[in-house]
Amino acid sequence: MLIRLKGGRVVDPVNNRDAVGDVFIDNGRIVEAPEGRQPDQTYDVSGKVVMAGAVDVHSHIGGSNVTLARQLMPELPYLAASGGVAIPPNPSSWGAYATGLRYAQMGYTTVIEPAVQPTHAIQTHLELAQIPMIDTGGLIILGNDDFALRQLHRKASKNEIEDYVAWTLQHARGIGLKVINAGGAEAFKFNARTFDLDDEVPEYGTTSRQIVQAMQHAVQDLGVPHPAHVHCNNLGIAGNIDTAIATIEASDGVPIHFAHIQFYSYGKEGEKGFSSAAPRLVEALKAHPNVTVDVGQPLFGQTVTISGDVLRQFDGRKAASPGKWALYQGEGNGTGVVPYKYKAKSFINAVQWAIGLEIFLLADSYWQVLFSTDHPNGALFTRYPEIFQLLMDKDERARWLDKLPEGVKEATNLAEIEREITLSDLAVMTRAAPAKLLGLTDRGHLSPGAVGDVAVYTDKPNKAEMFDRASYVFKDGKLIMRDGDVVEVTWGKVFQADPGFDSKIERRVKDFYGESYGIDPKVFGVPEDIANTEDRFQMVPCRT
Amino acid sequence: MAVYLDGTEVEEADGLERAAELLAEAKLPVIAGLMTDIAGAQSALALAQKIGGVVDHAAGEGIARASRLMREGGMNPVSFGELRNRSDRVVVLGEAPLQADPDLLTKIFPEKTLPRPGDNPRELIAIGCKPKGVPSSAKSSKVDLGNQSLATGISMLAAAVAGRSFGDGESALGKSIATAAKKLKDSAFAVFVYSPLELDEPSLHVVLDMIRELCKDTRAGGYTVAAPGNGDGVNLCSVWTCGLPVRTSFAHGKPEHDAWRYSAERLVKSGEGDALVWVDALGGSDVKPPKGVPTILITNPGQAAPRAAKIVIEVGVPGEDHDAALYLPEISGIGMIAGKGKASGLPQVSDILDAIGAKLNAKEAA
Repeated sequence: MLIRLKGGRVVDPVNNRDAVGDVFIDNGRIVEAPEGRQPDQTYDVSGKVVMAGAVDVHSHIGGSNVTLARQLMPELPYLAASGGVAIPPNPSSWGAYATGLRYAQMGYTTVIEPAVQPTHAIQTHLELAQIPMIDTGGLIILGNDDFALRQLHRKASKNEIEDYVAWTLQHARGIGLKVINAGGAEAFKFNARTFDLDDEVPEYGTTSRQIVQAMQHAVQDLGVPHPAHVHCNNLGIAGNIDTAIATIEASDGVPIHFAHIQFYSYGKEGEKGFSSAAPRLVEALKAHPNVTVDVGQPLFGQTVTISGDVLRQFDGRKAASPGKWALYQGEGNGTGVVPYKYKAKSFINAVQWAIGLEIFLLADSYWQVLFSTDHPNGALFTRYPEIFQLLMDKDERARWLDKLPEGVKEATNLAEIEREITLSDLAVMTRAAPAKLLGLTDRGHLSPGAVGDVAVYTDKPNKAEMFDRASYVFKDGKLIMRDGDVVEVTWGKVFQADPGFDSKIERRVKDFYGESYGIDPKVFGVPEDIANTEDRFQMVPCRT
Repeated sequence: MAVYLDGTEVEEADGLERAAELLAEAKLPVIAGLMTDIAGAQSALALAQKIGGVVDHAAGEGIARASRLMREGGMNPVSFGELRNRSDRVVVLGEAPLQADPDLLTKIFPEKTLPRPGDNPRELIAIGCKPKGVPSSAKSSKVDLGNQSLATGISMLAAAVAGRSFGDGESALGKSIATAAKKLKDSAFAVFVYSPLELDEPSLHVVLDMIRELCKDTRAGGYTVAAPGNGDGVNLCSVWTCGLPVRTSFAHGKPEHDAWRYSAERLVKSGEGDALVWVDALGGSDVKPPKGVPTILITNPGQAAPRAAKIVIEVGVPGEDHDAALYLPEISGIGMIAGKGKASGLPQVSDILDAIGAKLNAKEAA
């Protein structure tokens, strides 16, 4: 079926396009304007903005860690909504089904769950299978697991480490690899309460730096398109910009992605010993084009933090609001869940808010600085449109800044920044760049052959309103949402990278799990038919 | 497979049709038991949403209690792998853990472990239970409660850990408790093993508070015995589907959880629930459906007489007759168990519940 989106402002930076024109979709794919063929359906989208479906590179949408948070805090949607946060006051609002609908409502069509515990990958995939509308993928966590640490300890060959990474990706069906406070979660098991880049993991003697580098190189050498996706040490601590920059410098020119970098862009200047180091970060990014980041923008309001950085979450329990927390101590990283409310009256929270925006607004390239709130850690994903408005409207930022505690303007640079990002900038950071970074070449843009994932927004001066509900959302060429209402419920695919490995590793892993855990790893391997649908998994080709 | 209506075998389609009618006529249908795999739980939740029913599990009492504790104060759960590999002092509270798995101690105390914190020898501290066959890899000590209850013993231990005074401090029990408390405070990673079904709610709070107290200086956590009948798996599925644990009603649009109000047993006995779907598919359980309302019993062949319920529908055993996702205590999460007898030809729980749902859709459309 040939669909014509007629007369909209097409914003497609990959093709240097920002002009009024048409977009055609045929059989689920974007096509050139066909000659001599009448469209089966025409949508008049004049006065509207046409973009590729958005792609989220880092959002905790499902799996045992997210469900642990749901167990701890079923009241989250009520508490958040009562404080004005955009989420329906209904416990199922952060269940799997509602997650898919809300993402689609905003024009998102692909979302990556960034923290899959290898032994709980089945639960992640069962949950992802219940999220409608969007395509998904998972990043598999390694680097605090005893098998990898043992490999590093005995200085296993590069090939053997690569085999283990590849085995893990296949077994858990991930699109990429995640490293969370490398070695820190393991050190926490030995009662460490802090862990730095060059600290050694007890008993294993390997450092955080060595773990990150080993994982980073393994992913690169395996040809997995998405580089190692790293959550650094020292999250949330004043002065941690030094850690971020040291980790960036340690990347040695090899591709690497740093998650929610706002949480590492803290200086310790000023009376309160807490200040923005966004300019230093941005300089470091300019000097290291191999590095990409997503921001992890916070917004004021109730949320809950979910992280495999159990060391950090354990410390964070002191600030839990409401005052309860859960710490799952499991294989590899485990999970810490701490409810948190970002308050506009808090100096620290206000500075964090400003730092996130600064990183966006000072960025040299949105191919390098990607959009995220690290949902739900900085803010619920349901609130993305509020951030788009802040980035596109300096007056809105000024209104907010004026309400914040004294000293925030001094501790940050936000007040001096005039920049308002363009629709093209937004399309890069929310579409083109994340798709490219994930190796999903057929999305994030509107080139002929791209998947027919398209979002159409009604242009409004208030960008929060504009992006809250797309006028039309097409998924694989089907209209699934109209003005925020469901037209058709569809079920997406899961992306997977499978670079392959020497089968000798299977025996080693099997022996390890048999001896240490009394189990056969096949019980936590994700079967192809887990969602009971055909072609659920789609391979992302690896470089050869 | 066989389907029975009022004790007489009928065609599958007729039985399912009658089941759909029964649910369509009910004011508050209850879908419970739910001793099934994740696919079965997903279908049960979908059906409950469709018909405005309630979901509960045969182990719902303990699950609801654990859920309430979690949302009131949080928890420090420890995976079985961490318990086995890294704990030094393991406190077993009550009889349920060793009853649930007679080999539990062998699994907790293997000959060799991964590197673990501290240099204490590994030790079992038994409170309110009589462990047998403690492996030689662990020391073992016992707190003899005498004529005191387990709840009292737990409270005394928590007081001692927190450095507070408690009654009977000078008694034999008091001294034994003080020794155990000192061991816990000197531990590198203490883990409490218990069943939320066995401990009352105040005791569970005391245990969790004691863990949080220990965490201030060292590492501690709890390992809870898995609920029978895939209760933990079904409950997790409920949570990720609708944000709430089992004992949730969909009768009012938004899901609503209430551990007392939406107990299947209470609903059936009070007459508030007026139709029951009872799923007992994991090879037959001692927990039987509450009696008093028209019931659709979904169970394995040989587990129930044809007259055991208004409608009896036979299904395969998840993980035996077909592949199944189930909560596996050894990974403290959901794993896959491959079916052995793929030729059994028996339908799955999810097939039956989905088919009933489809019949209800057809009725609505008609």
